[in-house]
Amino acid sequence: MNKTMLGYIPNESPIYVIHPFVKLFFLLVVSLFPMFIAAPEWNLLLMISIFLLMWWSRVDMKILRIYVPVAISMGSIIFISYVIFSGNHPEYHLLFKFLAFKIYWERIRDAIVVYFRILPMIITMVFFLSTTRERDVIVAMRSIKAPFVVTYVFAMALRSAGMVLEDFQIVRQAEQARGFDTKGKSIPYKIRKYVMYMIPLFALSLRRSEEFTNALVARGYAFTGPASKVKRADYILTHYTFKKLDILLTIIIGALFVAILIIRYGFGYFGLNTSILTIWASKFIG
Amino acid sequence: MSNVIIQIKNYSWQYMNSSDLALRNINLEIEEGKFIGIIGPNGSGKTTLAYSLDALIPGQYNGIKQGEVFVYGKEVEKYAKGELQKSVGVVFSDPESQFTAMTVEDELVFGMENLGLSIPEIKERLEWVTDLVDLEPLMLKPPYEISGGQKQRVALAAVLAMMPKVMVLDEPTSMLDPISRKRVFEVLAQLKKEKRNTIIVIEHSLENLIPLADRMILLSNGELILEDETQQFFQNIPLLLEKSVYPPGVLLFFYRLFEAGYANSVLPLTLEAAENNLIKIINEKINGVNR
Repeated sequence: MNKTMLGYIPNESPIYVIHPFVKLFFLLVVSLFPMFIAAPEWNLLLMISIFLLMWWSRVDMKILRIYVPVAISMGSIIFISYVIFSGNHPEYHLLFKFLAFKIYWERIRDAIVVYFRILPMIITMVFFLSTTRERDVIVAMRSIKAPFVVTYVFAMALRSAGMVLEDFQIVRQAEQARGFDTKGKSIPYKIRKYVMYMIPLFALSLRRSEEFTNALVARGYAFTGPASKVKRADYILTHYTFKKLDILLTIIIGALFVAILIIRYGFGYFGLNTSILTIWASKFIG
Repeated sequence: MSNVIIQIKNYSWQYMNSSDLALRNINLEIEEGKFIGIIGPNGSGKTTLAYSLDALIPGQYNGIKQGEVFVYGKEVEKYAKGELQKSVGVVFSDPESQFTAMTVEDELVFGMENLGLSIPEIKERLEWVTDLVDLEPLMLKPPYEISGGQKQRVALAAVLAMMPKVMVLDEPTSMLDPISRKRVFEVLAQLKKEKRNTIIVIEHSLENLIPLADRMILLSNGELILEDETQQFFQNIPLLLEKSVYPPGVLLFFYRLFEAGYANSVLPLTLEAAENNLIKIINEKINGVNR
């Protein structure tokens, strides 16, 4: 098993055939698809396609369970803000009144559209994080000739996030060992006592940053001066080759994006007016 | 003819927000190709001295410096950023604090890329160092997710790969089991023999350090208490004990024999030398009784 940013995938996963740049390109471009697709059924199809890709990549599909509460709470917030607190719209079709709130069909439709736009974006990100190692992101950025400093700062940020979580566990265990534990206590109590974790964590973070700077200096890295102008050989990139398959996939992803734009703005599809689901629902409601 | 490459003159250092001097009036000369052992109790200034040789002090720390530290005839503060590190490599006592990359391989390569080495050169050194320190199975793992001993091997290898002329190792085996510790010292012995690097090791594990060290330094409370050739250094057992340095059991044993009048004043440093001395003492006693 190989560790990715969001779990583990087996060594035999076919995703390793694909160059990290293609994965990053997929994330950046496919995440944009829902922004140009209003019809929920198409976004649903996009989600199913990404689930299939995850299955093909041999991602442990159980990790999706942790996103169910996120999807539910996000859906609830969208529903409440769009449907319950929708305001007064005489031009819309009023379905019924709930206490002082007017529930309109158009606002329910809009909530569904927004929800089905956000979900594929999140799932695309989950797919990317589940199949990508931190190193892949760096390789992807360096393969498009992003400046070393940019990729390195990005790598440091990724590493720092992991370190803060590790340090949090250390602080928590250290305090538990001395009898301080918020487990089973009320949420206000936990919030009040959270500072007990935050202060040592903040101190640890400061120490970490000092150590990190020392490590960079000791290994001859400099942001300024003659040492910063040394031509770096990007050794890690020698492990990766951009094959014909990668070129083909990049072209397909790019072409799909262009096709969506043409179909949306050239032919008027993917909009609400042509959405089978909303047309059918509108007829049903009358 | 001596070839002094590190020269420390009247050097003192006091950290900001500290009322005591971390190092006090240090005067020291280190010759090229020598293996130097630095010992002393915790808080004696060993790490401060190591950082001073790589210009991490005063570069990265606030404090008051007096005196001078010369490396290859140039004051460490006069070196441009990243220039001194081509000649002096430091292995930190906490290996995790040394890591800057996402995988062990990236970690090993980082320093070499900073030196501006070409890809074939990096590949060659990488193969050499992974073989030397036995890291091949760990190459794709994140360095902060491996065991303590493996981390120390990675930290050491990362500096070795840069092939600095001077290597300063701050407690490089503190997290290792006895076998791994021995392995690290075997690597250092190989470097001393084949590459003729100047190696400065701060270490509490004297059994492994003594056979390799050409000279030893004792620091206590920021002061350089004793500096001598290894054999001479360990003839000062009362002083070492006074400064809370406990020499290996074999040395203490022969010191007690010496105090009791059974051994001569030249204390054996290694197990082999001790064995020979003991056989000699026993033979002398047997011969004495027979006569």
